[in-house]
Amino acid sequence: MIAKTFLKETKQLLRDGRVRIAMIMVFSLLGIAVWISTRQYQNVNEQYAMAKTAERAIWDSQGEKNPHSAAHYGTYAFKPKYPLSLIDQGVDKYAGTSIFLEAHNRNEAQFSAAADQTGLARFGDLTPDFILLFIIPLLIILLGYNSFTKEREMGTLTLLKSQGISSFKWIWGKWLALITPIFSITFVLFLIAGLVLSNLKDFGVFNWNTIIVMFLVYIVFYAVFINIVLVISARAKKSGISLVLGLGVWIVACLLAPKMATNIAQVKHPYPTAQEFAEAVQEDKDKGLDGHNPWNEEAQELERAVLAEYGVDSLSQLPFNFDGYIMQKGEEHQAEVYFKHYNYLKKQYGKQTQVYQTLAVLSPFLPTRFLSMSLANTDYGTHWHFNDAAEKYRIATQKFLNDHFAESTEYGDWGWKADASYWKELPQFDYDPPTLASTLSQNTSNVALLGGWFVLSFGLLFLTVKIK
Amino acid sequence: MIITNNLTKKYGRQIALDHLNLNVKEGEIYCLLGANGAGKTTTINLLLGFIEPTSGSAFVNQLDVQQNLRATKQFLAYIPENLMLYPSLTAVENLDYFSGIAGKKLSTSVLKDFLEEAGLQTDAFEKRISTFSKGMRQKVGIAIALAKEAKVLLLDEPTSGLDPKASNEFSLLLQKLRTKGVATLMATHDLFRAKEVASHIGIMKDGQLKQQFVADDISLSKLEQVYLNTMDYNELTV
Repeated sequence: MIAKTFLKETKQLLRDGRVRIAMIMVFSLLGIAVWISTRQYQNVNEQYAMAKTAERAIWDSQGEKNPHSAAHYGTYAFKPKYPLSLIDQGVDKYAGTSIFLEAHNRNEAQFSAAADQTGLARFGDLTPDFILLFIIPLLIILLGYNSFTKEREMGTLTLLKSQGISSFKWIWGKWLALITPIFSITFVLFLIAGLVLSNLKDFGVFNWNTIIVMFLVYIVFYAVFINIVLVISARAKKSGISLVLGLGVWIVACLLAPKMATNIAQVKHPYPTAQEFAEAVQEDKDKGLDGHNPWNEEAQELERAVLAEYGVDSLSQLPFNFDGYIMQKGEEHQAEVYFKHYNYLKKQYGKQTQVYQTLAVLSPFLPTRFLSMSLANTDYGTHWHFNDAAEKYRIATQKFLNDHFAESTEYGDWGWKADASYWKELPQFDYDPPTLASTLSQNTSNVALLGGWFVLSFGLLFLTVKIK
Repeated sequence: MIITNNLTKKYGRQIALDHLNLNVKEGEIYCLLGANGAGKTTTINLLLGFIEPTSGSAFVNQLDVQQNLRATKQFLAYIPENLMLYPSLTAVENLDYFSGIAGKKLSTSVLKDFLEEAGLQTDAFEKRISTFSKGMRQKVGIAIALAKEAKVLLLDEPTSGLDPKASNEFSLLLQKLRTKGVATLMATHDLFRAKEVASHIGIMKDGQLKQQFVADDISLSKLEQVYLNTMDYNELTV
């Protein structure tokens, strides 16, 4: 009976001109979106590779220079575009692509793609994630809104009941008939994306496991949506009412709930403004050691402690250059200050995430969106991860330079220059994004929420839809 | 095959069916005559298990309908006044689906045999139902009953709106089913058709079975007279 109902529903769907047109449109949109995203991905990656090579060449060819001058000269950490950003661009567009690494300051990522766009960007981009998250749920509504109501309206329900149809098998047949075209569209999209990505240069981070997990996340999301649409269709008296209710659910789940979640999270756990943040950082920096100012209290204290430790009377008697040493200590203090303040931002981010997760009870869209971005490495979590890696590299770079200065010179020898070949000894910045396992472990609550929606919506479907 | 014992259905104070006692045996065609609201459709809905009786019981093939909702439907076929099928599917596809629901796995050639037996023209087998007349749809309904090998056929005004030729063809089909031992309960307004096809005739009014006859024992004119008398229409007759 399940197979018969599935075949009957599928034939009806395929013979409905509206459905055929809608399917062709969605397929075409997906094709265009994948093509645009692939081009974009290739361009950005080429730019990334070129910029990384060029920046390293500039660093390596600084010539003879004092290490601290090199520290101020600085370098860039470039954020790579990850393979699955082809499917979900997440916050990449707004998060910035490169961080300037210099002495004394932890800088924000800059040069976001959004900043380079015109006002037309306000209309949104045609990306696969837009189609996966917004258009396909609409297609589900179009395919399924009259799944049960049509039986009542056409009068076939009476004959079905008289034939002794089983509710359970009837629902399964209809459910399978709805999930099959959605599964097919999504499968084709992910297969094409996977094949494209596996044939592109991608810095070796693409793997099929991640794309399969992402595919499954979307299928679960669609299953939940199908269950909701079928419950509405079974309970509504007319197809028109079912369609309006379905669209209402789409508006709440896909548009209202995310906006509400963002606004509530921002109001409850706001980030400081850029100015407030900079002032707070500066205030804490000023309270500690300044590597450039030997007269400040902390510097004097450090000087006394170091002289005592080495049992000497003057800085020139030390076996290293105290100028380099104090600068390194100053960097360490500043790094701690940055760590403290960025940690506060991360905590706020964590609290905001909790608000999103609480509101995910209103919408399966939220956990799906977060999981999708996370798996694509285009969420804020990955952005933080990249920022932290860049900061770690910056601190290591400063130590590399300060130590060389301290160990190679004597106190007061500011005119000393490091050899032109020395800069090449600095290891390259290579960033490894979070692995699939760590992404999943950081998203257990999102997985649980989506799983909860899956189970509950199935329960609702099979408990509320009965045929006598 | 069909038995009702004091079958009663009330909607609040309104009595839709009042202590109905029926017994339709194998190979019998029982026609229930009566005006609108007499309780004919309520009887059929109770036998189908679509509604619950207020009191009394209904049996199909010796099974209590209310206690065996799914099981009794195995033996039943039902053709309403306006049989609705899936318009975007062909006759064969509709028959395949509805017989499939009833647990029958039939090949396309067997399905076509049933459609042919039901009197549908062969060139209509692969046409979509949306192009069918009511008479053609009723024939598909009969094919569904044939495919299901139903022991009991419940018909609710099946010839209403059919042209005389289609109506006559339908009567012939019922006779064919009768020879196969199918017990048929048919609700109708059509005295002529009832006299033509029925083995037994009952007249209902206000939810009660007022009169019942063996069809061969009563002439059409007598049946008409009794019907009008029962309905209190005699003063209107000339």
